[in-house]
Amino acid sequence: MHAVLPILVVAAYAVLLTFVAVRARAAREFAEFSLAKRALPLALVFGSLAATYVGPGFSIGFVGRGFKSGFLFLCVGLAYSVQNILVGLFVAPRLRRLKDCHTLGDAIGQKYDRKCQVVAGIISVGLCAGFAAVMARAGGVVLVNIFGLPSWSSVVIVVAVTALYTTFGGLRASVITDAFQFTVFAISLPIMLLLVFLFHLDGGAATFAREASVATKAGFGSTSAIEIVGLVAAFLLGETLIPPYANRALASRTTRISRDGFILAGVFSVAWFMVMIALGVAARSIIPESTSEDDVLLSLVKSAMPAAGYALLLAVLVSVVMSSLDSLLNAGAVAFAEDIVKPFVKLTDATALNIGRCATIVIAAIAAVGALAVPSIISGLLICYTIWAPAILPALIIGLWIKRPRPLAGILSMGVGTLVAVILWIILWIIFKFIYPTEIEIAPLVIIPALVSALLAYVLGHWIGNW
Amino acid sequence: MEVVILVLVVIGILFAIASGVWVAIALVSAITAHQRPPAARLPADEKDVGQDI
Repeated sequence: MHAVLPILVVAAYAVLLTFVAVRARAAREFAEFSLAKRALPLALVFGSLAATYVGPGFSIGFVGRGFKSGFLFLCVGLAYSVQNILVGLFVAPRLRRLKDCHTLGDAIGQKYDRKCQVVAGIISVGLCAGFAAVMARAGGVVLVNIFGLPSWSSVVIVVAVTALYTTFGGLRASVITDAFQFTVFAISLPIMLLLVFLFHLDGGAATFAREASVATKAGFGSTSAIEIVGLVAAFLLGETLIPPYANRALASRTTRISRDGFILAGVFSVAWFMVMIALGVAARSIIPESTSEDDVLLSLVKSAMPAAGYALLLAVLVSVVMSSLDSLLNAGAVAFAEDIVKPFVKLTDATALNIGRCATIVIAAIAAVGALAVPSIISGLLICYTIWAPAILPALIIGLWIKRPRPLAGILSMGVGTLVAVILWIILWIIFKFIYPTEIEIAPLVIIPALVSALLAYVLGHWIGNW
Repeated sequence: MEVVILVLVVIGILFAIASGVWVAIALVSAITAHQRPPAARLPADEKDVGQDI
């Protein structure tokens, strides 16, 4: 019975999700596939944004970090909340005001030139595929726990199901299913924390406070100041306006909804991080201390919940992964059609739609293969953050704010930011892997120098462009 | 201190659940709106570019 129940619950969940996806209807034109005809109301913008950023990193990963280092990661996570609020206040409305803009690449193309749009498109598609590979790996981990299948086939199932509804429904299906998935996990995981507090925590609040104190002290003790600064920088900048978020800013019904959606999503992230970290801290007195970070949430659920609850929570974890994965697949596909193909070929609407659909499938396939190479969920996300922030943010944000941005500045900033991030990451990986073997998170050490290089390259390009 | 942490955690729990319920209500109205004939749809606001999702 215990083996069959999780399978039944996940199957029932898949049927329900399919029903919701079918109700979202297939996209009939590219404007529907890419931006849901720019008609999203506030609740769906907010729910979809939150469902996209609450992927495995902000659920499984944060519970694991709460288990190991207590509330240290809440402080780091708050940088992410601040970033969302700042984007809502200052960037999202400016982005939404641009006419005929489907992607970040489009925005950069309008502000700089077509070459910059293509470079931004290539970076967007690459990063979406990278993020999607991390999501696929996390989905595989969850399905392995449910079905006991080999890791590769679990990854294939998660990616195939997600790609299916994203390919046909586009952004509309992604947002509708995101809202459904958000509802499922935003209600069930906090309720699970309440149940853990009420029925599984021997010693109650005193035990929780003691574990929180011990873990947080250990976390600060084992993390250097430079690592903390790097992590804060990674969370503050690394996921800023990645393509799926930008698509939601552009697809909002009004500029005000675009702004409010990001602000609300930022506020929600504070509550969410609190709940996830608290789950990790509570797990310290329930599961063995030797449990690896990525397994803490699943082990806690297995120990603390009855079989039916365990099965339901597995379905919730699948939805956490799928809601992020579908957004990334759609954003990558739209960026490919809009920023890489359209600048060179005049496309009819039907052809653009078909290219978007084919790109969804290809990016899904790349993510499934790439999932096997992802080191760990948080590390995988940090690698993507490290490249995204220096590659795109200086060119995008400065371009939105200054009057006559120079194309050379945009190209140099994106090129130098990407190259410095990748090269520095490889050098540090070799050093800490082979020369001075150390358990250290490389990504936070890379992001600041890469960002500074991108900014300097921008200034240089702007200066030369003025000549 | 432990009381403060617990109060913050409980506020976080309640806020997350309330957000889930709000989005659920919006989701239901979005997918049931597709069943209505076009004439029954609400008029778009002044900045609408397309139909409600």
